[in-house]
Amino acid sequence: MNQNVLNTIAHEKNSHQLEVYKSKGGYSSLVNLINITPEQVINEVKKSNLRGRGGAGFPTAKKWTFLPNDDRARYLVCNADEGEPGTFKDRFLMNKLPHQIIEGMIIAAYAIKSKTAYIYIRGEFVKEYKIMEQALKEAYDANILGKDLNIYLYRGAGAYICGEETALLNSLEGKRGEPRNKPPFPAHVGAFGMPTCVNNVETFTSLPWIINHGGDAFAKLGVGLSGGTRLFSVSGHIKNPGVYELPMTFTIKQLIDHCGGIPDGKKLKAIIPGGASAPMMTADEIETPLDFDSIAKAGSMAGSGAIIVMDETTCIVEAAARLLKFYEHESCGQCSQCREGSHWLARLFDRLEKGLGNESDLALIEDICSNMIGQTICAFSEAMTGPALSSIRKFKSEFLEHINNKGCPHKLHLKEKEVSHVL
Amino acid sequence: MSSEKKVYKIKRTKINLNYCSTPKSFSIKEGERLSPLPKINFDGNNIEFLPGETIMQAIERAGLSTSIPRFCYHPALPIAGTCRMCTVEIEKSTKLQTACSTPAQEGMVIRSQSERVNKSHKGVMEFLLTNHPLDCPVCDQAGECELQDYNFTYGPNETRFTEDKRIFKNSTTRPLSEKIILNMNRCINCERCVRFEESITQTFDLLMLNRGWKKELTVSDEEKGLTSNYQGCLADICPVGALTFKDFRFQKRVWFLEKKPSICDGCSKGCNIEVHSENNEVFRYIPLYNESVNGHWICDEGRLSYHLLSDPERVTQFKIQEKIVSSKDALLHFETLIKASKEVAVLIGTDSTIEEVQALKENLKLYIPRFRLYSFNGTCNSDEKLDHLLMMKDKTPNTKGIATLGITPFENNQADLYIIFKNRRALPPALPQTSKVITWGVWTNDELKKYNSSLHFSGLATAEKGGSFLNTDEILQGFSPAITHQGNSLSVDEIFYELGKIYGTL
Repeated sequence: MNQNVLNTIAHEKNSHQLEVYKSKGGYSSLVNLINITPEQVINEVKKSNLRGRGGAGFPTAKKWTFLPNDDRARYLVCNADEGEPGTFKDRFLMNKLPHQIIEGMIIAAYAIKSKTAYIYIRGEFVKEYKIMEQALKEAYDANILGKDLNIYLYRGAGAYICGEETALLNSLEGKRGEPRNKPPFPAHVGAFGMPTCVNNVETFTSLPWIINHGGDAFAKLGVGLSGGTRLFSVSGHIKNPGVYELPMTFTIKQLIDHCGGIPDGKKLKAIIPGGASAPMMTADEIETPLDFDSIAKAGSMAGSGAIIVMDETTCIVEAAARLLKFYEHESCGQCSQCREGSHWLARLFDRLEKGLGNESDLALIEDICSNMIGQTICAFSEAMTGPALSSIRKFKSEFLEHINNKGCPHKLHLKEKEVSHVL
Repeated sequence: MSSEKKVYKIKRTKINLNYCSTPKSFSIKEGERLSPLPKINFDGNNIEFLPGETIMQAIERAGLSTSIPRFCYHPALPIAGTCRMCTVEIEKSTKLQTACSTPAQEGMVIRSQSERVNKSHKGVMEFLLTNHPLDCPVCDQAGECELQDYNFTYGPNETRFTEDKRIFKNSTTRPLSEKIILNMNRCINCERCVRFEESITQTFDLLMLNRGWKKELTVSDEEKGLTSNYQGCLADICPVGALTFKDFRFQKRVWFLEKKPSICDGCSKGCNIEVHSENNEVFRYIPLYNESVNGHWICDEGRLSYHLLSDPERVTQFKIQEKIVSSKDALLHFETLIKASKEVAVLIGTDSTIEEVQALKENLKLYIPRFRLYSFNGTCNSDEKLDHLLMMKDKTPNTKGIATLGITPFENNQADLYIIFKNRRALPPALPQTSKVITWGVWTNDELKKYNSSLHFSGLATAEKGGSFLNTDEILQGFSPAITHQGNSLSVDEIFYELGKIYGTL
């Protein structure tokens, strides 16, 4: 039933080596590239309905066409700064299929006529950095790279915000990783002031298959305007957590079943469908298909495809408080709303979790969030309001329980049983 | 709403644009007109703008800048767009946009007053005040604090923030140099100071450490601290009391200060300043914006030069041979000295105003039948700059002005009696010990001793008098007295008036 587009040979031993990758048909799309023009590549990708896999789901071909038609140098950047809590698909790809990423980058660079490309890899990915470095070396030695395209590997310094494309470009230039004002967009003024295109690792990985099999075939694998299959990073209270390649026609329920269901026969309480920034969904909403548009319709976002499953034992208040602590830590601190708001929200949720809050705090959270949405340079502050608002709206009873009990009911339960461990 | 109230037309021809951290210069040549210039509609007013300008820049030039609050925006600095205070509503745009960073486009309809905008302003003010210590009663910035002023207009009446405030223990009162003190708790992270150090002084002394709500301003080199000569400007551009100038700190509440414009006489640049005083006691100089002279800035040397006014070494009495006398006695002694000498040379320092020189040139003829007029500088008689900004090697303000009056420089010309006129800045040349010297103007006790002054006429300093200077770029700048002199010194005109009364030449 499943067509594997992305992890075609990931199960093979040493799939990260050029030899193995080539023997299984790797780099075969480059032969096809000789016969078609860059415009045809863009056209093929347009037909495939490939949407950016980083989180925003923006049509990839459209992004490429934004680049101005002038003779300035242009750069291609691979965004491998995978930092979204719950997401580990890019890490999987870099571990297993580094050459497929390089192949995809060669195709994209050919399409946008770029001669220089960068891979911005997250600072914490040490093993992946070494694998990518080795893969690039192999590709250079085999003369795959170096003639028409040079790819440079650049390590970040461990900031979540550097996954945002303009912050990534600032970091790449050696500046503080802070998002830039838009306009001008990176397509016009990007890395080092030149037109730049930033794409996600998974987006690049999809390209060889599209060139080999045609855009229409890719589009058929998907649903509506979301073409192809997707990698889902499934984690949390699930029997078989991991990276799964599934068509987007799958509903959340099907996905949970596919991954072995929830252990110990416990009931589902909530899922986060697209990484930490996506608003939580309740157990009643699990019939939603996993494509970009359906999830957006349900009031959440497909984001990076990170499914975090939470069963009935989860304290939503604690989960939300933990997520907001992450955002408090990762806000770059440029915009007033985000810098101060992240701190304020984290404190409020922390207080609510400890049972020191009161009911008016919930209204306050709503108001703080309304002042943060759509007011800042990047989408970070809006992302933060995802878990904050969805948790207090969809799980209000749990918050009220914390307020009325003057403490976390889940922890009270723990106290009785394992007093010695907790205290 | 969209009815035309007024059309604001572009008058200046040269404008420096700092758009999105890439400074660009855009200028229209004399006589050339971009016609018709594109317009935006701002609160019903049609405002012309130059292509590439942002909304804020167009509005600033039209003189409507007070209608949009701002923290991080400063007309002389690159645009950051981070405080999010200057949000405006643009028709056909779903989100609110920041006026400082959004490029103006033909036909944009912009509203600075609407329910959404007001809510946004209120939100930003509340966020900024959550961690602000609200120590206005002990803060030196109170009274000229943008956070305070804007909160009065735009902010909420009370806070809903009940958590503990952020405190930077090491940066509560931290000297960044001998001149600047940082209180990080008050900082609102507008980063004007960081951008000033990057783009104006280019010393890169300041940077932000950490991120998010723990973001902290610090110096890049702990040992050196701030190194630029324009540190006072940091305190000027800081919208809150985070960076304060040590010299002025805790000296005076700003609302007591009387503010009068004047010219700095510290070098040949002639920076425009505002003299802040109370009861004719000067507390500070701050720069006054003048696009063609000093922009928004002034060097620390000029800023601190107000100390010379009340310097205890300054002679503010008339003197005969180191003995303090009344002005009348001194003036009576004047004629005896003149009569006893055959050859008189009048030396005029290049720190005198054009009016003083002319008064001396014309009026001295009445008392001295034959005399020669020379000028002296003593510092550096050239147009050389000390740095890329304002400071000049020539430490006197009127070298060019004196030269245009046709006065030749002094070259060891012999005379029995020298009359030396100067205002503290110019350094007089060495003179033969045998000749007598009349000193006139602003002098110190040491200088009087050095020149063995037979007679001293005490004069007024630049801030105490009016006049005009021709600066190094040949811009003629007039100024009026900013304060009234509190000693016994008299202006050149007053002295000639008194002389006239005594000798009947009036």
